[in-house]
Amino acid sequence: MPVAFNMKTLAIAAVLILGLLVPVFVEDTYVRHLFIIAFIYAIVAASWDLSLGYAGIFNFGHVAFFGIGVYATGLCAKLLGIDPWIAMLIGGVVASAAAAVVALPVVRLQGIYVVLVTFAFSQLVLQFVISQSQITGGTQGLVRVPTIELFGYNFLRDYKFGYYYVAFALLVISTLCLRFITRTDFGLSIRALRDNEDYGLARGIPIGLQRLKVLVASAFFAGIAGGFFAIYLRVASPEVFNFSTMALILSMVLVGGTSSIYGPVIAALALTFISEGLANVDGLAEGRFMLVAIAMVLVLLFFPKGLVSVFGKRAGKSGA
Amino acid sequence: MTMDMISAILVSGLVLGSVYALMASGLSLVWTTLGIFNFAHGSLMALGAYFAWTMTDAAGLNLWLGAGVAIAVAGMVGVGILIERTVIRPFYDDKDILLITVMTTLAVMIFLEKGIQFMWGARLKQLEPLVPGQVNLIGTTISAQEALIIVLAPLLLGALWAFLRYSNTGRGIRAVGQNPAAAKLIGVDVSKLFILTFALSAALAGLTGILLGSVRFITPTFGAEPLVKALIIVIFGGLGSLSGTIAAAYIIGVVEAALIFFVGIYWAPSMLFALLIAVLMLRPQGLFGKTVR
Repeated sequence: MPVAFNMKTLAIAAVLILGLLVPVFVEDTYVRHLFIIAFIYAIVAASWDLSLGYAGIFNFGHVAFFGIGVYATGLCAKLLGIDPWIAMLIGGVVASAAAAVVALPVVRLQGIYVVLVTFAFSQLVLQFVISQSQITGGTQGLVRVPTIELFGYNFLRDYKFGYYYVAFALLVISTLCLRFITRTDFGLSIRALRDNEDYGLARGIPIGLQRLKVLVASAFFAGIAGGFFAIYLRVASPEVFNFSTMALILSMVLVGGTSSIYGPVIAALALTFISEGLANVDGLAEGRFMLVAIAMVLVLLFFPKGLVSVFGKRAGKSGA
Repeated sequence: MTMDMISAILVSGLVLGSVYALMASGLSLVWTTLGIFNFAHGSLMALGAYFAWTMTDAAGLNLWLGAGVAIAVAGMVGVGILIERTVIRPFYDDKDILLITVMTTLAVMIFLEKGIQFMWGARLKQLEPLVPGQVNLIGTTISAQEALIIVLAPLLLGALWAFLRYSNTGRGIRAVGQNPAAAKLIGVDVSKLFILTFALSAALAGLTGILLGSVRFITPTFGAEPLVKALIIVIFGGLGSLSGTIAAAYIIGVVEAALIFFVGIYWAPSMLFALLIAVLMLRPQGLFGKTVR
């Protein structure tokens, strides 16, 4: 349908232009900050959807991959003096390497055992970070992480103007890559394994290898997002491993609907603004996570395909 | 290695193992019967400790310790019923129940953790020990409360085992676990047993929290670390069997105590996880597990 295709291209172009124009019209530093955080969460949520939604791997360690990116980048940039841009990339690579280690047992396990191993992994990473306090800063976190520069431009200037575009570029590139991955033969094969494992196996799809690749790929995006998170906030704090962070990002995936890369991205934008808005209400700084928890249950009860599906988006079109 | 070291490792391993066995058996019970994994188990443990604190502490209701514990455990039964009703029951017929309830119980965990912080604040609290004083066990001195945990855990687990094996209700719970459809056909009230099992597991978690709450400080995230250990244990033991879980709990307890002794408290968790991955590579179904459900 060429008409629909054009409409879609137009919509994407409109969103891109809007995204590029935001910092021109929004001069408030705090609102820009919210956009940047939302973009980072959007990358984490969308890449989580690749392993959880598309591949159907019960991966509950995704936020740990994000946290590993945060710490790997922070440590490389601060202690080893590596250029922060490169350090961000290293964050992605280290997160992928961690995912490969977790994948070793995970590809051979089924159902609940996958949840348990990935979950236990994320908690052990947290304990490890806290225990190695002489390097990681322990519960205090790693502070004063060096930040990025580009052709002599200092990103600390101009009220986060530059950071906004880096975050936006990262989001656009990640979303494009994730969309691309899901549309390749590889993406098709992981969906086949999710929907009918026996049939997929019978057609000769190497299940272990595909699952390993999915985990490694999805962790890479989360790691890069974590790297930018550390560079942007200039701290690496163990809070990124919190159950609360995990619940918030999981709720983005759920609200956005699994098996749709765009859904979690949209949900991440909306939920970051709502959640940060609530954080400023008295007594809700921590209490907002109770609301997030309630929202998660309500979405699962009444909109199992994600809230986005309510607005007529074809969220589940890829066979969820 | 001297006898002193062996005794120290064994005794602290027994304390850890007993706590883990109490935790993990509740998880295992819910898994075999309801077929779901309850991530809120750790926060239920914390909630039980806070209930008991409110009942017994001078700043709270200042009740006699035994009464306080009894009321707290009863409260946990109520909380268990409430959780089963609201976030588990609606999904029994869903084919994705496993994944969905992982997420809903995670939500409950967050809700309880933040709720506890809201109600009781983040300040450290401690329960009065049920038995005061110290005890010498095969050459190692521990608090009497820790000795009580060592003694009480096998008794409670034995009672649980006897209940499941000999009472009608317990047999019903096992029947439902083995085949819910067939159990329903022969007139077992499946729905009632689901609630009962979940409430029992919540009470067990609360009791664990109460026992541990006078050994360690109680915080809103007090249950997180035991929950992670319980996860490792049920993976080791295989979720399906209660005896496998209990055996794994004691093994992990002693292994952890030995690791803490030899490589220190910082490296012990990572070593434990490395061991876990190694075991899973060789036996994906767990050390004692049969087939995956």
